Amino acid sequence: MKKIALSVIAATAVALPIFIGENPYLIGIMISVLMMAALSSAWNILGGYAGQYSFGHAAYFGTGAYSTLILLTLNNSLNPLFCMAMGIIVASIIALITGSIVFRLRGHYFGLASIAVAEIVRLSVLNLEFTGGAQGILLSDVSLWGIDLNSKNPFYYGMLLVLVVTLSISQYLRTSKTGYYLQAIREDQDAAASLGINLAFYKNKALLISAALTSILGSLYGLYIRFIDTSAVLDLRLSIEIILTAIIGGVGTMWGPVVGALLLVPLAEMLRSNLLGDVLVKAGLVSETSGIGVFLKENLAHAHVLVYGIITVLCILYLPKGILGLFRRVK
Amino acid sequence: MIQHLLLISHVSKHFGGNVAVSDVSFAVEEKQIFGLIGPNGAGKTTLFNCITGFFPTTSGDVIFDNKKINTLRPDEVCKLGMARTWQRVKPLGSLTVLENVMVGAFSITNTTREAEIIAREQLQMVELTDYTTKSAGSLSIGLKKKLELARVLATRPKMLLLDEICGGLNHTETDIILDIIRNIRIKGATIVFIEHDMKAVTSICDRIVVLNSGEKLAEGTPEEITNNSDVISAYLGGGHHA
Repeated sequence: MKKIALSVIAATAVALPIFIGENPYLIGIMISVLMMAALSSAWNILGGYAGQYSFGHAAYFGTGAYSTLILLTLNNSLNPLFCMAMGIIVASIIALITGSIVFRLRGHYFGLASIAVAEIVRLSVLNLEFTGGAQGILLSDVSLWGIDLNSKNPFYYGMLLVLVVTLSISQYLRTSKTGYYLQAIREDQDAAASLGINLAFYKNKALLISAALTSILGSLYGLYIRFIDTSAVLDLRLSIEIILTAIIGGVGTMWGPVVGALLLVPLAEMLRSNLLGDVLVKAGLVSETSGIGVFLKENLAHAHVLVYGIITVLCILYLPKGILGLFRRVK
Repeated sequence: MIQHLLLISHVSKHFGGNVAVSDVSFAVEEKQIFGLIGPNGAGKTTLFNCITGFFPTTSGDVIFDNKKINTLRPDEVCKLGMARTWQRVKPLGSLTVLENVMVGAFSITNTTREAEIIAREQLQMVELTDYTTKSAGSLSIGLKKKLELARVLATRPKMLLLDEICGGLNHTETDIILDIIRNIRIKGATIVFIEHDMKAVTSICDRIVVLNSGEKLAEGTPEEITNNSDVISAYLGGGHHA
């Protein structure tokens, strides 16, 4: 039963671009959904399983994007996998430095330090010469290694592949020694240590896996949009969105981040493009010229962050285990 | 020659100016059931924390199995074969009972399949097989204490430190736990046992150390301890008799 459901989901995901055809707008939204699902799943390995909330995952995402685009603007004949690997290495170094210092401490220090590290990375990139500073980096090539960068389908499948890899790692971890150890750390660190779990080692392991996956997604995203600056890939807002997606979908569950992304990304897009206002007008519920109509048109497009916030508050109040928590029987 | 499995040598632990444990020494032999008793605040749990690597000792040494362990981390101490339970139970609340015990079992195996086999054996030993799929957080205190026991047993320890494993239990539950502890000793483990329940301690221990205000007050067999006038006055507060 479960296998059939999975096969249907997989087949739908693979065939989707064919159905959508040449509608770059819809494909673009789907790419965002896949990317956010994968980002949130990667975060979930550290935040959901091990209970170590990172508020600075944008640092690893941005590291991947910047490493890849900097290398390619220097030499556009480089292999894409090589560029990704370099991104992973830089992200891993940042992760290891952060983890080896902060994971010795108990409490919320990791959360605080993750914000600090992300800000250090952002400000460094903003002020360094070779990163393009505030101007950002533009990749002018439209075709690399035989791939047409203007076409969105390769990136759709690229994101889908990384999502599948992330979910597979997630599933493998959940049923392995490492996964049990991470969950034990989340539940009670003293109990975990007394049962022979090296706390710092396993937290670092989770951070490293999470950071590496996030960096890969950053590399892919950089190639996809070909122009990055700090506000696009290193912003605190991105880190927060990754966390909210996991919380609303269901922290610590394998499919929670996917559900969260499927809900939130299209919702944000609808608000941003004022689709919601249009629907209300077309349905005849609100007149376009009335006060409410004008208000919706002018303000709703800027309100997607507010709506995120409201959904999060409602989720924490009524669905503390996320949407997936609804379907989980209480034992 | 007598083999000391655990040697506590002049151990002190200060918190700032506060002396929690002061120059305590004793030795635990292999396969003993060793009692550590004393009134509230005597330093029993602090001493446990020093032995198992949760607190660094201020001075003195802890020697386990001929290795100095007071500079090791808790997980390293566990890997050497010393496991502990907690006075205030620490179940991994959102995991199931079986998963809790599997976490313990992973210290001696790397595969999930083997960990599950070991965990099921231990659950059988403490009679928790009916609760395998229940979440650990939902158990009653008596069952949580049993779970703690199963979880540390799954690490296959040479020595078990039990911190008030009978605290908060009724007589029937206490008797069941004491039976389990006797069984553990038969299988070859050594046990150090913090307990308030004098009846439980005297009925099961081979040897007892009494702590009072961080200092060792007396050491001896259960009969010697129950007849020691210092112990009686420390425990019962002056001239009262139980």
